[in-house]
Amino acid sequence: MFRLLKGFGVTLNYFRQKKVTIQYPEERVAMPPRYRGIHRFFPDKCIVCNLCVQVCPTDVITLTGKKSEENPKKKVIETYNIDFQGCILCDFCTEVCPTDAIVMTARYNNLSSFNRAEHFKDIKWLSDNHIYGNYEESAPAPEAGERGEVK
Amino acid sequence: MSIKTEEMVLNMGPQHPSTHGVFRLKLHVSGETITKAEPVMGYLHRGSEKLAEGFIYTQFIPYTDRLDYLNAMTNNYVYCAGVEKLLGWEIPERAEYLRVITMELNRIASHLVWWGTYLLDIGALSPFLYAFKDREIVLDRLNEISGARMTFNYMRVGGVKWDAPAGWIEKVQETVKQISESIEMFNTLVTGNEIFQSRTIGVGKLTKEQVIDWGLSGPIARASGVNIDLRKTEPYSIYDRFDFDVPVAEEGDAYARYKVRIAEIRESIKIVEQACSQIPAEGEIIHKKGARIMMIKPPAGEAYTRAEASKGEIGVYVVSNGKTKPYRVKLRRPSFVNVAILQDLLVGASIQDVVAIFGSLDVVLGEVDA
Amino acid sequence: MELVYIILYAVITLAVLLGAVTYAILFERKVIGYMQLRPGPNRHGPWGMLQTVADVMKLLMKEDIIPKNADKKVFILAPIIAFVPSFAIFASISWSDNIYGADLNIGLLYFIGISSITTLGVLMGGWSSNNKYSLLGAIRGVAQVISYEIPLVLSVLGVVILVGSLNFRDIVYYQESIGMWLIIPQFLAFVVYMISAIAELNRSPFDLPEAESELVSGYHTEYSGFRFAFFMLAEYVYAYAIAALATTLFLGGWLGPAFLPGIVWFFLKMSVIVFFWFWLRATLPRARVDNLMRFGWKVLIPLALLNIVITSIIKVWMG
Repeated sequence: MFRLLKGFGVTLNYFRQKKVTIQYPEERVAMPPRYRGIHRFFPDKCIVCNLCVQVCPTDVITLTGKKSEENPKKKVIETYNIDFQGCILCDFCTEVCPTDAIVMTARYNNLSSFNRAEHFKDIKWLSDNHIYGNYEESAPAPEAGERGEVK
Repeated sequence: MSIKTEEMVLNMGPQHPSTHGVFRLKLHVSGETITKAEPVMGYLHRGSEKLAEGFIYTQFIPYTDRLDYLNAMTNNYVYCAGVEKLLGWEIPERAEYLRVITMELNRIASHLVWWGTYLLDIGALSPFLYAFKDREIVLDRLNEISGARMTFNYMRVGGVKWDAPAGWIEKVQETVKQISESIEMFNTLVTGNEIFQSRTIGVGKLTKEQVIDWGLSGPIARASGVNIDLRKTEPYSIYDRFDFDVPVAEEGDAYARYKVRIAEIRESIKIVEQACSQIPAEGEIIHKKGARIMMIKPPAGEAYTRAEASKGEIGVYVVSNGKTKPYRVKLRRPSFVNVAILQDLLVGASIQDVVAIFGSLDVVLGEVDA
Repeated sequence: MELVYIILYAVITLAVLLGAVTYAILFERKVIGYMQLRPGPNRHGPWGMLQTVADVMKLLMKEDIIPKNADKKVFILAPIIAFVPSFAIFASISWSDNIYGADLNIGLLYFIGISSITTLGVLMGGWSSNNKYSLLGAIRGVAQVISYEIPLVLSVLGVVILVGSLNFRDIVYYQESIGMWLIIPQFLAFVVYMISAIAELNRSPFDLPEAESELVSGYHTEYSGFRFAFFMLAEYVYAYAIAALATTLFLGGWLGPAFLPGIVWFFLKMSVIVFFWFWLRATLPRARVDNLMRFGWKVLIPLALLNIVITSIIKVWMG
């Protein structure tokens, strides 16, 4: 009849336990290196093969290349833009890239802003996005705390 | 003098706290009793099936994530399995195990969300937080292996995208142990609670005949005594290698659906534990041709595959005309089929029961409207 | 001169109450937060102390919206009718041996009589909003409050029979004289009282009139800004009043070991009752309308009547 009273014990028990929420702006979740966050771009590696543009399901990548000055047979990247209004962070661009010029970092914040134009990231922004991730030149991932927050 | 009376039409939604998304119910009510119910859907329609025709095969996988976003792994799987059937590919052993582990983990996460939100609908505040706390550790595991918390995009035609990171299998074993401890707590807090039982027992009764006539599937069907679980009746992937039960209840009310789902979490835990101990230590994770995602070109033909998602039977029908893009993709979404029963199920119920019934169907609107 | 005292007392009580309600809301959110493994409000001020202040500021500064098809006069009047009685009943509460408002001989009757006017505000608010959810919420609210008013009053009668007075101060003095709180001889009455009080207050698990997952927000769906604030204020002030009544009747009012002043004991006992309500809210799901009614009429009223019978027999037997 009074099995509902047992529930009070459960809630009281939780009352005493340590709180698990992460206080966001001060503490942040440490994402694993594989996390598919905002891209990083390495202009030197890019061979302007256009595969990422072709594979992108939402058509948010645009790029232009020019002839290399040293070796006229090769092409170098000139502009590279990702429009994060439409990017679904599916990781296909990274997957098809033969030289790992476009990679994903574990950066998950600052994807929202009050201005549409800010979602349009250019080659400079993407190259300067020095966040760890699942790629060779990456800095090591930070150690996660007990609740998964950045220590 | 006579008083003019008219039937009251109550619009529940599209913006209503307990429709879990943009779903509209037109309820004709007399007092608090419903005389007629009309579900109106389509507010979230994105034309996924049509979109698929413009994509190469792999490009559609992230879109399957966004159907039933709480159970994206199974959606990934059923679509990939459909294309694999067209191609006639054998999937590497380790990939199959990784698929099963992630699918079952995802089923646990999906049922936990249902548990929390259902109790929130019924008016208990805390279970929602407890469920999300436990779901969080499951999502952490899925995040570690796939790089996303909900829209996994983890499976590929021919296998999976990534191998498990070092120590991941052990972590999964630890996680499911924690979940099964939490289930005990859930039972203490909720299952035995008399108020909860009075809200759910005998509410939204579905008969076996109704289930079959309306083509309902998943825990809803099993709670009405229809013993159908594709993992058992038509084992896909490697489900025939695991020892698990299919929880079935006879009552067909909201409480039976609740019990079936809680029992299913336990069965999923069993499967994950077995898969974790059986998984080959190393091996291929994707078919040798699967990694070149731009080159997948199935021969002309058609294939239908189905799988048991957390909401019910999800099916994908793929037609190929021998090009790199599918000719047609049809998705059989369990929530879409299940939600249709509302027009019969709600008649005679009170407004308060609407929430209890609608919640017990466990509908995800991303899947209803596709 | 007496009039000045009365006004002064009323103003001070109102100020104290506003402060108390502010922190009751914070307390509620903290308690529920802690039970849900989160720290609760913690951004405004140290330990979230200014959270409610910020909320109230927001409500007061919001645009005053009256729906176009609402019954304007009733719509405006409803929050006032809901709030005034819940505040007026505090006149009869005796906080300690020497801090009290009106020493009414019919204190209990006054309390119960005035407090039931609040229901009218709920009905008016729900009706005048011209919103289907509000209307349903108001219907539920009125049905529920009226049904639970009866066991509430009946449970209190046991105390009245024992003490032989409706005066709150007499009731406390009686508890002092017999050397125990009335919760012991009147335990059944206390249980009935607590359950029907929750329903009276529309608090979880009987918060049907404002069930947010069904009726969006119940009778005050269309209210915003300071009118909404008035409804909220009425709700919490009334909660305090009911807790104060329980303290007086069953928990010995201001009685307690002498190392703390009486009024502190009074507030402590009230806080325990209020904490209990928050605990309920964090634990239980919402009850069903029909079960709620059945429970009130078929379980609580017979129990309360039984208690009256037992109490009368004891009273006669003991002389």
